[in-house]
Amino acid sequence: MSASYEAVGWNRQKKFYDWLIAGFCILYLAVFIGFTAIYNPQCTFETMLIRSAGTLAILLLHIILAIGPLARINKKFLPLLYNRRHLGVTMFTIALVHGGFAILQFHTLGNVNPFVSLFTSNTQYNSIAQFPFQALGFFALLIFLLMAATSHDFWLHNLSPKIWKALHMFVYLAYLLIILHVMLGVVQYETNPVFVIIIAVGATTVILLHLAAGIKEVKKDSQLFDRTDQGFSYVCNVFEIEESRAKIFCIGVERIAIYRCEGRLYAVHNVCKHQGGPLGEGKILDGCITCPWHGYQYLPGNGQSPPPFKEKVSTYDVRIKDEKVWLNPTPYPEGTERPGAMI
Amino acid sequence: MNNDEFYIGWMEKAPAGFAKYIKKMLLILVVVVAITGLLLALSQKPFATGNFEFGKLTEIRGVYFGEPIPLLKAVNGKDIFGNTSFITIPLIGFGKSGVADVIAGIEKQKNIALNRKEVTMQGTLLYNDGKLLMQIDSKDSIFLKIGADAGNILSPVITDLGEQVIHGEIVDPKCFFGVMKPGEGKPHKDCAIRCILGGIPPVLKVKDEKGNENYYLVVGENGEKMNEAVKNFIAEPVTVHAKVVKYDDWIVLYIKKKGITQFSYLREHFGGAIASCEPARMK
Repeated sequence: MSASYEAVGWNRQKKFYDWLIAGFCILYLAVFIGFTAIYNPQCTFETMLIRSAGTLAILLLHIILAIGPLARINKKFLPLLYNRRHLGVTMFTIALVHGGFAILQFHTLGNVNPFVSLFTSNTQYNSIAQFPFQALGFFALLIFLLMAATSHDFWLHNLSPKIWKALHMFVYLAYLLIILHVMLGVVQYETNPVFVIIIAVGATTVILLHLAAGIKEVKKDSQLFDRTDQGFSYVCNVFEIEESRAKIFCIGVERIAIYRCEGRLYAVHNVCKHQGGPLGEGKILDGCITCPWHGYQYLPGNGQSPPPFKEKVSTYDVRIKDEKVWLNPTPYPEGTERPGAMI
Repeated sequence: MNNDEFYIGWMEKAPAGFAKYIKKMLLILVVVVAITGLLLALSQKPFATGNFEFGKLTEIRGVYFGEPIPLLKAVNGKDIFGNTSFITIPLIGFGKSGVADVIAGIEKQKNIALNRKEVTMQGTLLYNDGKLLMQIDSKDSIFLKIGADAGNILSPVITDLGEQVIHGEIVDPKCFFGVMKPGEGKPHKDCAIRCILGGIPPVLKVKDEKGNENYYLVVGENGEKMNEAVKNFIAEPVTVHAKVVKYDDWIVLYIKKKGITQFSYLREHFGGAIASCEPARMK
């Protein structure tokens, strides 16, 4: 969380995270290049570069896509979610090496511009077997470029979290394009089933993790709150909410977090203004609701980030009657002071 | 994990429970990354044994022929009977281009017809599987010496092998015989198309029943270039109907009009109209 923009707001964990990224990339490249060179001494530098970068980028993409649902299923994965953007930018850079060198190798020194060549050399777009798979990789790379270029919080704030999030959801389209790029490209050349098996295992893992995380969220959201009184819905017993923690309730379409802080209950909108993190899964630290994703903070009484920060979330009325907690799902404008309910 | 533990990235250290769990996961990830790299590295098809002598120019003396494709015929030592043997060296251009324009330019500049001239040329060699090709670059002095007309001294020994139906894959010989690995198949398809459209003569790569590969130059019915016509058949299984002519150590396929089609298993096995492939006969 920062009041001004820096290229990277470095801290110890970010540095540690980046060293780990570098370590894993070096490990993969050393294994892939080393064993390829030993078992295929006829290999060329160009092919080695294209293949090692391509396979590493796909591996990183799978890890990136797995981190989100893993963190939703088990909070212990949250350290991997933090700074995932650096992992994304690394993946794009490696994919760019793959794509850039492939264009250089396959499309330059010809009788047309390399980018014209990319789309006009093979024009069998109506054939699955002969489909120009390189074009698919190109469009995926464009999406990754857009995501990497807008990965900084500067763009998040200027585009608005909603648009930024929507833009970054295109990663799933890019993933589909990459799977097709592989299946309609190298898989049609290589005869060893390992390539198909690895891609199938990767895609299945990503899909199952997303389904598991989705099912968990749906279960939470499907709780019915049919006891109502003057616009308030009965949601839980007061003792179900631990001190400095919250419970999340989905009434209608909105998720609302009820926090317990110093003998009072406060209700705020569950969605963090930074990247949409689940505020109700956070904790009160230094008197502030703290988002579990990136540590953005809000005061429980008014949903405002402490100065000099300017983020605000909606607040709600909450009541306690006979140790039962009642919540009014009608939001107040973002940053509106509410007294909360004394326990 | 203590339930009171809470992770925030900007804190100096992750809580102990989180740190311990993540360390375990990272160890698993190390194994996954290493195994994935190993499996992918070991599962690749063997790389071709071709060579491209990048950056090295070699002089070769021989006779230049403009037909059926631009080539140099040179002495290649003696055969087992002690007779002088010859090798046919197809010529290709720099990058993804043929040599037609380069040769035409030199002929115009020197006001000379190079066909059947005794020449000393220099270029970059590429070779694989018994075939030798030479890349010539207009930036270099290609013809170091242009001698007299060779007449019929080194005229190719031509043998008509009749009309045949052959299955194979059209490749660009420059990449296939040495510049790229792989220089064939789907991953290389775009490059092969670009090379062939740039003027590099197409070659049909045919695998016989024993797995041996044979290579045939592809031209039109009357010896015309087929570069544009084969565009949609490059790097995929094709069936060609051609007049087959042996020129010394290369075989040339004079493809009939509409004599090239995508290979169809059903048509081959149930259509009854096309004979089966017998490339071994063509040696």
